[in-house]
Amino acid sequence: MTVIIGLETHVQLPTKSKIFCGCKNIVTFEKEPEPNTVTCETCIGLPGAKPQVNSQVIEFGTRIALALECKINNTFSFSRKTYFYPDMGKNFQITQHTIPLGSHGKLLVDGKLIRITRVHVEEDPARLVHIGGVGGSHVLVDYNRSGTPLVEIVTEPDMTSPEQARAYLATLTQVLQYLGVYDPSTKAVLKSDANISLKGGARVEIKNITGEKEVFEALRFEMMRQKNLSKQGKRTIQETRLWNPELSVTQELRTKETEEDYGYIPEGDLTPITLEQRIILKEKQQLPELPAQKYKRYQRDYKVAPKLAEALLADPQLAVLFEAASKKIDSKLAATWIAGPLKKTLNWNNRRLEQTDITVASFVSVLKLFNSRKLTDRNAEMLIRYLVAEGGQPETLIKKHQLTGSGTDLDKVIKTVIKNNPKAARDVTNGVAKALNFLIGMVMKETKGTVDANTVRKALEKALR
Amino acid sequence: MPQTLVQLRTELKKGNRSSFYAKLSKELDQLNRKYHVLLERTEPSHTGSGPLAGIPVSVKDCLCVKDVPSAAGSEILKGYIPPFDATAVTKVKNAGGVIIGKTAQDEFGFGSFSVNTNIVPKNPHDPTRSCGGSSGGAAALTAALSVPHLALAESTGGSIACPASFCGVVGMTPTYGLVSRYGLIDYANSLDKIGVITKSVADAELGLSVIRGYDPRDQTSLDKKIPPVPKRIVLGVPKEYFETVDSAVAAAVWDTIKKLEAAGIPYKKVSLTATKYALAAYYIIATAEASTNLAKYCGMRYGQAAPLEQREMNEYFSAVRSTYFSSEAKRRIMLGTFARMAGFRDKYFLQAQKVRTLVIQDFKKVFKNVSVLVTPTMPVIAPTFAEIEQMSPVQHYAMDVLTVGPNLAGLPHLSVPCGTVKNMPVGIQIIGDHLTEATVFSLGKCV
Ligand SMILES: [Zn+2]
Repeated sequence: MTVIIGLETHVQLPTKSKIFCGCKNIVTFEKEPEPNTVTCETCIGLPGAKPQVNSQVIEFGTRIALALECKINNTFSFSRKTYFYPDMGKNFQITQHTIPLGSHGKLLVDGKLIRITRVHVEEDPARLVHIGGVGGSHVLVDYNRSGTPLVEIVTEPDMTSPEQARAYLATLTQVLQYLGVYDPSTKAVLKSDANISLKGGARVEIKNITGEKEVFEALRFEMMRQKNLSKQGKRTIQETRLWNPELSVTQELRTKETEEDYGYIPEGDLTPITLEQRIILKEKQQLPELPAQKYKRYQRDYKVAPKLAEALLADPQLAVLFEAASKKIDSKLAATWIAGPLKKTLNWNNRRLEQTDITVASFVSVLKLFNSRKLTDRNAEMLIRYLVAEGGQPETLIKKHQLTGSGTDLDKVIKTVIKNNPKAARDVTNGVAKALNFLIGMVMKETKGTVDANTVRKALEKALR
Repeated sequence: MPQTLVQLRTELKKGNRSSFYAKLSKELDQLNRKYHVLLERTEPSHTGSGPLAGIPVSVKDCLCVKDVPSAAGSEILKGYIPPFDATAVTKVKNAGGVIIGKTAQDEFGFGSFSVNTNIVPKNPHDPTRSCGGSSGGAAALTAALSVPHLALAESTGGSIACPASFCGVVGMTPTYGLVSRYGLIDYANSLDKIGVITKSVADAELGLSVIRGYDPRDQTSLDKKIPPVPKRIVLGVPKEYFETVDSAVAAAVWDTIKKLEAAGIPYKKVSLTATKYALAAYYIIATAEASTNLAKYCGMRYGQAAPLEQREMNEYFSAVRSTYFSSEAKRRIMLGTFARMAGFRDKYFLQAQKVRTLVIQDFKKVFKNVSVLVTPTMPVIAPTFAEIEQMSPVQHYAMDVLTVGPNLAGLPHLSVPCGTVKNMPVGIQIIGDHLTEATVFSLGKCV
């Protein structure tokens, strides 16, 4: 049974101010502000207040639409989407309905083209605080979030499995990161609604899914639910369901009969916007190199293996480090160490590269020490751990933690050990395996475990050959 | 006695503003008792300077005045005190104008007689008759005051021209976008225009010159120059604009046209064929927009509230809205909501938008041959309250038949008194092409 999936993804954009007023955008705040302190007459929706379009939102939206290869509509407009809900200051949301900013785009996901129906911008409503939880005693409204710019990216129903939907979202998230319009380490929220149906069956919309893992789980659950219904000879009804991440199930929200009619009309307070061609062209020229292009280039120019390239690209900061380091040191070495030990250590410490003292120069110096065998494999890895966890410069950390199991020392120790154990050395030359193990043990003892056994073995074999 | 705002300003410069305002305050007390024109009075601060230095200015209730209750004549917003001034109000204050209070109107501008509200203003020419609407209080106050006065008013489908005509004063509705709508409690955003009501055309011209201008806070406001008056003016008389008009009213308007002709301003008979669809299109667009604008009044953030019982939020919103909206507001919300619902939008709302385009094209074509159009402002003289009670909503809406055209097209139009019928004033409407305010005013001065 073929599954048909489409996604609508909303992302809060990190512009300086809100979409329709001069209030600061709280997505960019380090600390959560006191409720209802970042508001004005427009984002509360006082009578007489009017919206003004923030040009930075249009800029970011255009950038996203261009990166998704959309056609930028010559003139696009805003509409009112009306429904009553306490988080809406005006009881209507200003969004784009008739003519969105961009349409007819596409995104390549694991070799498959996913068509992008539209990219548009709109306002986020206020935040509801349920006192005593959902269904509790009462609800408070915090308008700080009201008017936060959102971009909505809608796909055609082109995905055929929950795995593919997850991959799409991962790719999209990466593109947004490279465009500088989304940073997962900030408070910016990325949420999706999904449409899913079995071929020939009714379409179900799942609301409120956060993150790639949840998209996968929600869709897998819903796919199974629909398949089970079909097995039982029942039909899926057209409805909207809500993803409950605590229970990992989708729950009924409303059926088609009670589906809301938003009664869209043009927003009379905002004139349609016409972007000049030269502005679109300029945005196009300024688009950064996107992950898909980098992926190709890393393999072609740096001879980096596909898996490694993928791992480097997953974090734009690591990709930047890699490209800079490659100018000073062998790119394959840089790729291995950045995608391997560095990435692992950052993840382990829950840190991003920019939160550490590591610079291109310091990282390259570590790799150079390793390359010239002044640092062993293990010590180089330890050094990276200290660089991430403690900060500071490599030389200081090497001294502090006595990461001196350097190549010259090892040679010296090996020479001494061979000199002091001539029998064992002869036995090794004659192929007695136990003798080699004995010598390794001796060297390890002398170097106090700062050099790993494998390195010692190789060095001994070389010395006795 | 000063006859114009400029004369009054000159007089106030020499004389004592405090004693003028003490006297004015007494007169306002008296007028308000008789005609119910003002909803709120403000303590005038009259020390400013500028083109309106010391001039008394009233503000229609739908325009926000900082710290003064502004409810657009509605019950649901009663007691709402805006924390900011509308741009037009700021401009008046900066020009030295003295805000004296908020004038009565139909709730949210919904009406042509100012009867769709709790405080119904009366016509100073005959208090048994309506002063028109929805800017009824503004026109009645201007007519009744012994001194020149500037009233800030607002028109969506004729709400400046209608009361000006019924009360025998001058009402100017400018080109859509000429005056910023920031701070206007919206009726229908694509139609709302802030304008002025005054005793004379010169005063209207002065008032408009103060409040007009581009405002970044209203993206629909215009940043355009007004062209000078052409040397030769030719009037256009559209035949469709006389078809439903009372014969005595039509005769008074024709008299004026003939007088203008005698004074060397010729006229041509023209036809505006889309006129007959304009009224229906207007009501669909206006109510559709209004139904979204009124959604925010739900007792949650301001205005009236309902008792907070254990109720679901939709029930609470409904309780507030069904209690405090008048039946006319409810009628327009329902009409407007219907017209924009998924199954009906194409047939009604989008169709009305197409008609609107036709109406604009109709006018544009005519303006290739004539400088301005002249028509009666209203099809009748001000009706009595007893007559109004007998009218159906559709008859009520039909009152706007001569004013909706220029309002739908966003054209400047001026109503100037041009005689009387049964001792009640009749107004002639001068409609110009977009941004031809100078031409419209210059002809208005000839009437
Ligand atoms: Zn704000």
